[in-house]
Amino acid sequence: MPDRSVVLNVNGRAYAVTCAPFDTLLDVLRDDLGLTGTKRGCEKGACGACTVLVDGDPVLACITLAARCGDRIIQTIEGLAAGRDLHPLQQAAIDHGAVQCGYCTPGWLLTAKALLDRNPSPTIEEIRVAISGNLCRCTGYQKIEESILDAASRVREVTVSTQ
Amino acid sequence: MAMPLFDIAAPRTVREACRLLAEAPDGAEPLAGGTELLLAIRHQTRHPGLLVDLAKVEGLDGLTYSPDRGLSIGARVTLKRLIRDASVGLHYPSLAEASRAMGTPQLQMMGTVAGNLCQDTCCLYIDRSAEQRYGLEICHKIGGHLCHAVGSSDLCWATYNGDLAPVLLALGAAITVADADTEDVWPLERLYTLDGKNPLALRPDQILTRIDVPPPARRSGAAYLKLRQRGSLDYPLLGVAVAVDLDDDDRCVRAAVALTGVDRGPIVIEQASRLVGGVPTDERIDEVAKAAYKRARPIKNVWGYSVSYRMKMVVPYTTRALKQAIELAARDEDRHA
Repeated sequence: MPDRSVVLNVNGRAYAVTCAPFDTLLDVLRDDLGLTGTKRGCEKGACGACTVLVDGDPVLACITLAARCGDRIIQTIEGLAAGRDLHPLQQAAIDHGAVQCGYCTPGWLLTAKALLDRNPSPTIEEIRVAISGNLCRCTGYQKIEESILDAASRVREVTVSTQ
Repeated sequence: MAMPLFDIAAPRTVREACRLLAEAPDGAEPLAGGTELLLAIRHQTRHPGLLVDLAKVEGLDGLTYSPDRGLSIGARVTLKRLIRDASVGLHYPSLAEASRAMGTPQLQMMGTVAGNLCQDTCCLYIDRSAEQRYGLEICHKIGGHLCHAVGSSDLCWATYNGDLAPVLLALGAAITVADADTEDVWPLERLYTLDGKNPLALRPDQILTRIDVPPPARRSGAAYLKLRQRGSLDYPLLGVAVAVDLDDDDRCVRAAVALTGVDRGPIVIEQASRLVGGVPTDERIDEVAKAAYKRARPIKNVWGYSVSYRMKMVVPYTTRALKQAIELAARDEDRHA
């Protein structure tokens, strides 16, 4: 079966990719584009470590076919910071000690970004539901949730101060 | 785990899609969200040579409500769209609740209504990679002659775990099934064979294109309760869906109860009709709950609570779901006008 040519828009850049029909977005991001921030966890859609944003929504790259993503806007963890300026979610994660081994971190950071883009003032319960598809074996989730809550208020401050 | 080889086609019409499904020499399956199929392919329990991608097929992603026609859901509508849709939240809250109860936010974003209804049955002995099944004799579900979950059975006992099916059954939904030349409307119940090995009554060249839910009655209530061990990800170890309509004197004029997670398909509890004709009493509710208990048949082939605990929960969950639905119906005014 022939390979597919597809142009992937990742973190604002266009990448011309040739891939097999059965290559997943996770395979292509990591192995072809060298964007290894998105992690290979369970490869069965059950852990959320491979979460990326497609058209602003969190999806699982391990069960997404790359060839189907040609007309989508994809954001990976590499696209969260603005150059050397960390996103408030990333800074809050560091400040709250919400990163231990770090393997789940790219996944929930992007899930949290999608949440804040849609709901700038989430409650802790809304945060819990939003990240319920991102499993963490290290932290027990409390610091993750607190860092997202804090990041939400930091984002709101920035929004207000730039108006 | 490497993904086995397959090809993918992207038709533009239902007719083209069904033709591709009918004519594929190495087997073909329709691809919607892919949250189940791609995993089964990776685990080597399903082996289609061709995936028929429905992403560009026209006419499959409408979601519309009207007071006289009810809710029309295109096959490719995602669970996230059902969760976010204002009409669904107002007129069919049990459907929104069941969608929120499914999986995780990411899976809700990717998974479709038709895919959820048509999900394969599950079993701990099957739902693992080829490497993890190494050394295990092949069972009925994948072409063998035994059942690991129920020893000495000639039948496959894989469990159906969809959350949407019982809710849509209780709401009286119908589905549109298409092949290359024709289109048929089935009551949803007809989709399910209750055969763990081949749980759906669809031919390989047929696809489900639409789900239609009748408009809610003026005083109606519905509920979906899901027994689960974790707050997300889990299948229903028991799922109970109820829909009840009352008249102006609080007498029941319609009652429907359906269960999931406790057999090889979703099951409708016919005895729910015993509630019709009078004001629902605790005795009548108990009769229906006990009928559900008699019918439920959970097997120890899904991760989570024991079979005996799941059975113990059938009566309290069915009772609670009925009471919730009845109370909602009694408080319902002109929400649906």
